[in-house]
Amino acid sequence: MTSKRFILKRLLLLVPVLLGVATLVFAILHLSPGNPARVIAGARASEAFVQRIENDLGLNDPIWIQYGRFLGDVVTFDFGRSYTVRQGTPVSTVLQTFFPTTLELALLGQLFGILIGLPLGVLSAVKQDSLTDHFTRIGALAGISVPIFWSGPLLIMLFAVQLDLVPTSGRLGVAYDNPEITGLITVDTLLVGDIPAFVDAAQHLALPALVIGIYATALISRMMRSSMLEVIRQDYMRTARAKGQGAKITVMKHGFRNALIPVVTIIGIQFGSLLGGAVLTETVFNIRGIGTLLVEAIQSGDYPVVQGTVLLFALLFTLVNLGVDITYSYLDPRIDQ
Amino acid sequence: MSTETTSEEHTSERGLVDRLFASPFLTDLLSNRLALIGLGIIGMLVVVALYARFVMIGGLTPDLTPIVSSKLGTAPSMQGPCGSSKVGQSIQNAGNCPYPFGTDIQARNIFDRVLYGSWLALKWGTVTVGISTVLGVGLGTLAAYYGDVTDNVIMRTMDVLLAFPSLLLALALVAIFGPSLTNAVIALVLVYTPRFARVVRGAALKVLEDEYVDATVALGATDPRILVKHVLPNSLAPITVQSTLNFGLAIIDLAALSFLGFGAQAGTPSWGAMLSEGVNYGLLSGQWWWSFFPGLFLAVTVLGFNLLGDGMRDALDPRMRETVD
Amino acid sequence: MTDTSDSTAAFRRYLRASARLLAGSALVGGALGTAVYLALLVVGDGPRPASTTAFALGALVFGFGTLGWSGSVFLGESVESAQRFLDTESNWTEAGSRRAMARLAGAGAGAMVAVALLGSVVGAL
Repeated sequence: MTSKRFILKRLLLLVPVLLGVATLVFAILHLSPGNPARVIAGARASEAFVQRIENDLGLNDPIWIQYGRFLGDVVTFDFGRSYTVRQGTPVSTVLQTFFPTTLELALLGQLFGILIGLPLGVLSAVKQDSLTDHFTRIGALAGISVPIFWSGPLLIMLFAVQLDLVPTSGRLGVAYDNPEITGLITVDTLLVGDIPAFVDAAQHLALPALVIGIYATALISRMMRSSMLEVIRQDYMRTARAKGQGAKITVMKHGFRNALIPVVTIIGIQFGSLLGGAVLTETVFNIRGIGTLLVEAIQSGDYPVVQGTVLLFALLFTLVNLGVDITYSYLDPRIDQ
Repeated sequence: MSTETTSEEHTSERGLVDRLFASPFLTDLLSNRLALIGLGIIGMLVVVALYARFVMIGGLTPDLTPIVSSKLGTAPSMQGPCGSSKVGQSIQNAGNCPYPFGTDIQARNIFDRVLYGSWLALKWGTVTVGISTVLGVGLGTLAAYYGDVTDNVIMRTMDVLLAFPSLLLALALVAIFGPSLTNAVIALVLVYTPRFARVVRGAALKVLEDEYVDATVALGATDPRILVKHVLPNSLAPITVQSTLNFGLAIIDLAALSFLGFGAQAGTPSWGAMLSEGVNYGLLSGQWWWSFFPGLFLAVTVLGFNLLGDGMRDALDPRMRETVD
Repeated sequence: MTDTSDSTAAFRRYLRASARLLAGSALVGGALGTAVYLALLVVGDGPRPASTTAFALGALVFGFGTLGWSGSVFLGESVESAQRFLDTESNWTEAGSRRAMARLAGAGAGAMVAVALLGSVVGAL
């Protein structure tokens, strides 16, 4: 079964992953034509001022020295100070503030997708070519075809503007205090036992999570359907089906487990697209998370924040896939570390 | 020698067409109702795009404000679409409907802009997918033909690129090289090329393993001729499937980048830019039509490409063809 | 697990093979890096931009290789099953990918070291 050694080995792999991403970011930033000192100084600053900033940032050192310093900074989670967010806030602080919002959104969306997508996919496969199957397939296809930045506004128009059931944007009404313990607002309000605030936070989160959730559901149900179909077609399943109803159910259970194995691994890889979806969702619902932060940092040329965000996304992606790996080794008896 | 070559080329050409029609691929595809719907959507879109680009554009400036507004009078801004009970009911009624989708804050006709948006979507989709296809075909055939180190270096690089989420990679590149439509297209090409390379490499390997290619090599056929005459025709079907599926993706990703402000310039009548304006300025104040119609066209278009692509893939994949009893 | 001495011997063999592979590609990378640096020195506008560009190019290859190497180890299984669903099945193997990526990383590192050494010398002149 999953041993500590297996998990430790995977955790150690985080080092080369982050080294690789950090080096890539470093290389690309130094190959690109922009001058960070110019961005900080502003377009109208004098040449002398720009040079002073260049000296302060160490941009005049040989590049290999800059690289060494950069790696040292990354190891200590010191990504420098933001050029734009509140006059030089450390990037790590900025990320800490914005990250939980995005995490809450992405996790909830993923959970939604798994809970609904998996059963839908199985149902669709088991009843292949039935009306249920057709509806599920078309629905899933529509789910990946309809852009988040259209379905989001539609839902806002319907549920927030017309029906006035939920708020249009943000995370929490001004009437409530944000306890800020973990940063996950629904968890925090529950922790302090502030039920009205929890209800309000949940209402704020409902639409954005639904939008991401629909997308995740569509992706997962499609994969689950084809994986399940593949398993059903195997010989032992046919034989069991011929034997009758009782055997059929047992085998279906077994088939589900086998079909789940490839799907679980793909859910990990697809988490990246989900993060992309979170960027769009935050923009639509005007939620202050890593996504909107990244977009604004790009617009204003805030390189330290861009760097930090990219590294954080890489870290998150790797950790999610680590989780997937562990799940996988439970599911697949052949993997015995 | 020369006559022999031409006749040989002739037969191989006819062989290709014959093979396409004889194969179950086309009949399967044509019997797939959903794929046909997708094809219909794409067909209509092409017609609309061509109309917008070559007929309609006559009396309009590049950002689609009417040049001569005398006939219509000064267009009202924020005019609701026909039949809407909100703004300007008196002006717009049945039979007289100059703004079927309403107007935006600058009194531009959303109907015209959405139609023109389909031209832009098709144009940039074609550019993105076209470049990815050409690059992917080139890299895939090279990898398959030369094998060994070339194969490893090309395909492993493609594998790593394949693992990057498209929108995030595009955002990172746009962050570094500056927001522009060109950079957005470059970023997406980087994301899509590996898929084509894989498909082509797979098909090419299958062809190269066949004995008749060995025979042609023995007869002295040169590398490019083998690639063009044997490898390409055999990978045509999988390439088409990939192109179709990626066309939908390209349109949605480009629109997403424009929506975030990193693709088409603000004010361009692209669906993404229109959606961005409509959501930011018109959504909460009730001008739903401003973002609704561009989004509707975008969604239906992408659905069309996905329907067709899915149908083609099912027709191509024999595993999907057999049904469970 | 099995006999400890046996597995350490295997591990040493593995280490030796990896070191050989890395050293070989580092040499190639060093030569390439030197060539690019010298070429940039001749056509470009000075030693600083030349070393910056050459080093950054090496870093690009190194970063890509490192990421790819760890990615292949990490996502080996996932990529294989993802490929089946994307209809892009190939004879992808984790081991092949790891080796190719290790070569890339080695070459990139070689180039970075070569440019740093050469650049320091040129800078001191």
